[in-house]
Amino acid sequence: MAGIADFLDSLIGGLDLICFCLAIGGLFWGVLILRPWHQENGYNNELLDKTIALIYKGAFWLAAAQLFKVILKIWLMTALLDKWPFPEFAGTTQFIGGIIRTLLTLVLAGYCYLYLRNHPYSKGHWRTANVVAIPMIVSGAWLVHGAGRFENQFFLMTFTALHQVAAAIWIGSIFQLVNLWILRSEQKIPHTLWPQLLRKFSPYGMVAVAAILASGLPIALQYIDTWNGLVGTGYGNLLTVKFILLSMALGYAWLNRSAVFTYGSMGNDYALTRRVPYYIEAETFVLVTLLFTAASLASQPPAIDIPSLTATWQEVLNTFNPQVPLTQSPTHTDLLAGEAGRVAIVGQVPSVAATEWSNYNHNISGIFLTTMSFFAMLSYVKQLNALKAVNKYLSFTQYWPMGFVLLGIFLFFRSDAETWPLGPIGFWESTFNNGEVLQHRIATLLVFTLGVIELRARLSQNASQSLIYAFPVLSAFGGLMLLTHSHIGFQPKSAFLIQVGHTAMGVFSLILACGRWLELKLDSPGKEIAGFVSVAALFIIGLILMFYREPLY
Amino acid sequence: MKRIVEIMCLMLSLIYASNLYAHAVVTDHSLKIAQPKANQAKKIELTFNSKIELGLSQVFLVSKGDVHTLLPIGKGDKQGNVRVDLPPLPPGEYALRYKIFAADGHLTEDVIHFSVTP
Repeated sequence: MAGIADFLDSLIGGLDLICFCLAIGGLFWGVLILRPWHQENGYNNELLDKTIALIYKGAFWLAAAQLFKVILKIWLMTALLDKWPFPEFAGTTQFIGGIIRTLLTLVLAGYCYLYLRNHPYSKGHWRTANVVAIPMIVSGAWLVHGAGRFENQFFLMTFTALHQVAAAIWIGSIFQLVNLWILRSEQKIPHTLWPQLLRKFSPYGMVAVAAILASGLPIALQYIDTWNGLVGTGYGNLLTVKFILLSMALGYAWLNRSAVFTYGSMGNDYALTRRVPYYIEAETFVLVTLLFTAASLASQPPAIDIPSLTATWQEVLNTFNPQVPLTQSPTHTDLLAGEAGRVAIVGQVPSVAATEWSNYNHNISGIFLTTMSFFAMLSYVKQLNALKAVNKYLSFTQYWPMGFVLLGIFLFFRSDAETWPLGPIGFWESTFNNGEVLQHRIATLLVFTLGVIELRARLSQNASQSLIYAFPVLSAFGGLMLLTHSHIGFQPKSAFLIQVGHTAMGVFSLILACGRWLELKLDSPGKEIAGFVSVAALFIIGLILMFYREPLY
Repeated sequence: MKRIVEIMCLMLSLIYASNLYAHAVVTDHSLKIAQPKANQAKKIELTFNSKIELGLSQVFLVSKGDVHTLLPIGKGDKQGNVRVDLPPLPPGEYALRYKIFAADGHLTEDVIHFSVTP
């Protein structure tokens, strides 16, 4: 139970940031971009109702998330310490700060719901809503990483709060753009508002990104003092992932800006209406993942505090080093013989068999993924003119998702050596009496089901919308989970060397998701390019798994 | 189908439920300087990188066979210091397993191995 509480704690951190962006970014959007008190803008009630609804719903959910975080802490401490944490917990900064922030967020949500919603064209109400938000933003500073530090506490708390506001302005505005496009698609607002507001947002977006970097860099320099700290620790690794995700989002932002520029100079709105909305949707995937990564980063010890546990860049590089995949598994008897020593705290004996068992599982899974994604890539390139002659011989490549089904079957047999069908413990007994076995069974079922869904989606002419979007949504969610699941255990350095491969796969899962999403939405040739990039990302995930080597611990 | 995707997302969440946590770490400890002598009580100092809520933290002595014994802890002399009272022990291999609640709200669990020399 403690494991689930801890995981929910990381997850709720990401949800908290999403709600924060909805509320604070929405208020910024209203005051600086919409400026609804200027009647000549041509806004209607539908637009303002939806805009304000996003703000107060975000704030209400933020209050709920904040309260849930406090409850989760109580749950986690009760499970981990095996005792009721009160009255001690009531006196902590986390409890007092958490409750105060919940109440201040409720005040903001209440004001927006009761007053701003009824006076959407009033400059005074918009300004008051922003003023009401300030104490809530400030209260958040006591709940961040810096609050527990001994040095530069005030500086770290202040800059983290500023960093959050800058991110909220950018990401919250992107959420508002998605909302704007939905309203336009449903023909509830004038069509001219889409280019008009995109153009207005563009310079503010650039300022927000500059503010994110300007506030984030000094924090990073406080927590990471060497290049090795950036490369060889979990903190540095997740910060690098954040930077990669930011670059991806900026790539989409650049495409959007180019389309706005083309519209402004030539009056051609083709890209603005046929591509930009989908780039913004893909950008939303990236930004949501970025927020969850940011939340996960807060659970990592800063690199500056763990110099003796930092991996060298050679060790990190070695985890991606191409090598012959392990195709021979240790015996089941050898594996079980080493388990007691491996899990002991005192007198621990690393198990070579356990490490090789895991390597074998990862490597063979990698072979499955590289093979199926190779056929997937072939299914795209066969459409090229040069390959037209052999096209008919390559028709089988469209069945590549079948590889997921076979992978699911492989995982079913290999995941848990001590259980049925390989081990002595029965299927039902092991599934419902051991949390780890249950997780593996769920993973197996998911991989198998994903294969069946994607096969139907690609082959059926009349596949439903939710069927075809299942694959990108689940891939994005899978990537998010890989990035969120980044904790350090009893062997921090070994755990980090395992984590570094998993975070890389998380980033490529996101590329896989965005590529497939854009393939389903864009027109040619962007459609084919995005589709190819998507399966190429799957190929790279396969390579990472195929060369995977777990450190002996 | 939408429901199936939602269920799959929920299941995916469960797969990644972790049972390890970390944020506050021990940056230094007195066991690095001197290992305890057999049959002598000893005060051990653990230095953390973050403020610690002592009332919500625990330190266990782990003996052979992974037998856990809760140890009394107190505030050390400096910021982030936790004092652990180690009882007299026979020679052998041991570990300190700590569960620490840091001021920034993160729970940390980790282990320090040590030997008791004759």
